[in-house]
Formats: sequence, C-alpha cells, structure tokens
Amino acid sequence: MGFLNGVFKKKELEIGSPAAGTCVSIKEVPDPTFSEEILGKGVAIKPSEGKFFAPAGGTVNTLFPTKHAVGITTQEGAEILIHVGLDTVNLKGEHFTAHVKEGDTVAKGDLLLEADLAAIAQAGYDTITPVLICNTGDFSDVAAGAAGEVSTGACILRIKL
Amino acid sequence: MKTVKYVITDPIGLHARPAGLFVKKAAEYQSNISVKNMENGKSVDAKRIMAVMSLGVKQGNKIELSIEGADEDTAEKELAAFLKENL
Repeated sequence: MGFLNGVFKKKELEIGSPAAGTCVSIKEVPDPTFSEEILGKGVAIKPSEGKFFAPAGGTVNTLFPTKHAVGITTQEGAEILIHVGLDTVNLKGEHFTAHVKEGDTVAKGDLLLEADLAAIAQAGYDTITPVLICNTGDFSDVAAGAAGEVSTGACILRIKL
Repeated sequence: MKTVKYVITDPIGLHARPAGLFVKKAAEYQSNISVKNMENGKSVDAKRIMAVMSLGVKQGNKIELSIEGADEDTAEKELAAFLKENL
C-alpha cells in the first residue's frame, strides 16, 4: 500500500480545518451565497474557538479591510476562501484581528485571524464559517473530507488535482 | 474591444454575494473580460472569484470592464445592465 499511497498522494490536496469546531455541509449554511455554491464548493465550520489558522500552505492573496474573510492560494493553485461568520462584512472590522497581510506566505497552521466569537454572536451574527474553493471548476473534484467534530488542521476538504 | 465604466453603489462593495453573481454572469460569455479597480489600477480576470474579490472594490469606487471577443457586444450590454441592477 505504501507504494500506491506514494503514487496517489500528489494527485490530491487536503485542506485542513482553519479552526476547532464542528464541520457541516455547506448546504446547512443559512445564506444562499454559500449554500448555493455561488462562490465555490466547500464545507462550513461552526467554530468553538475564535482563532483561525491557515488550512494549507500558500499565499494570502485576499484579506478584506474588514478582516472577516481571507483568501489563500496554495502552490497547487487552489483558491481557498475562509469567510468568518455570515454578513460579518457589516461589522467593518470590529471584533476581528488580522495576523497576516496580503502577499504574505503562510504555512499550514499559521495564525491568520482572531475573532471574538461571543461579541460577534451578541451583535446578532451567525459565526458559522464557510471554507470554500473559489476555483472549484479548475479541479476534477472538490469533496468534503469530514463531518462532525474537528480539531484545527484536520482534513475537511479533498481536492482532486 | 468594448469597455463598461461603473461606480459601485452597493454598500458592501464587490464582496461575497455580489462578486459571486458578477463572476457567474461574466463567465457566460466567450469574450475575455477583465475588471479594473480605477482607485488602485489593479486589473484582473472577471471570471475568477478570488481575483475579483482581491480588487478590494468598495462602495463609491469606479470600475472598468474591458471586453474582447466574439460576443463582446452582447456582453457589454448585458453586463452594464447587470451592474446597474445588482451593484
């Protein structure tokens, strides 16, 4: 099996959970932008802690001024969007702290953002965090890799290269 | 080549949902379509979501589409109407 693993390894990219929490289907996100996969296929994490880490190594190519969403392009060309909470663009950066900036190179597990989940929930926003592959169409398949409790870095998406 | 100029009125700018819908619309055409944020001069492929979001287009920003290809006339007309209606 070791030989076969070696052969197949390169053809699949595993995306880790950016946060600890519960991994659910993207269809369960109460916002059609995500559930209808307008921005690409993915899953969603209901975070239990407000720290978000790089789901794979790559380059930070989008960090909104409002710090609620971050985009990372991996070496394989996968464009991963992590969108912390729903409609949280309206918070205009409040309750969010960015630990990276656009153009930074990150390794899997590097701290990207911190969010005060309690304060965001209190402000009336759902903290569910979609993790999407924006360029889903560039790959032969993007599939959920987990469901239920996940720890940071656990595989939540598998991309066939 | 056709160009469309537009000033974004959506309060959240060219972000998640509006950006996604815009990219989906742009992808309907054969023509090559680029979108430029006139505030910072950055120009990207209008058919790529992450690229479009990375433009950082905010409310009040002017954008310019450049459309080139067989269906550029239709694309110009329909994308101009789309922007007006959605952004």
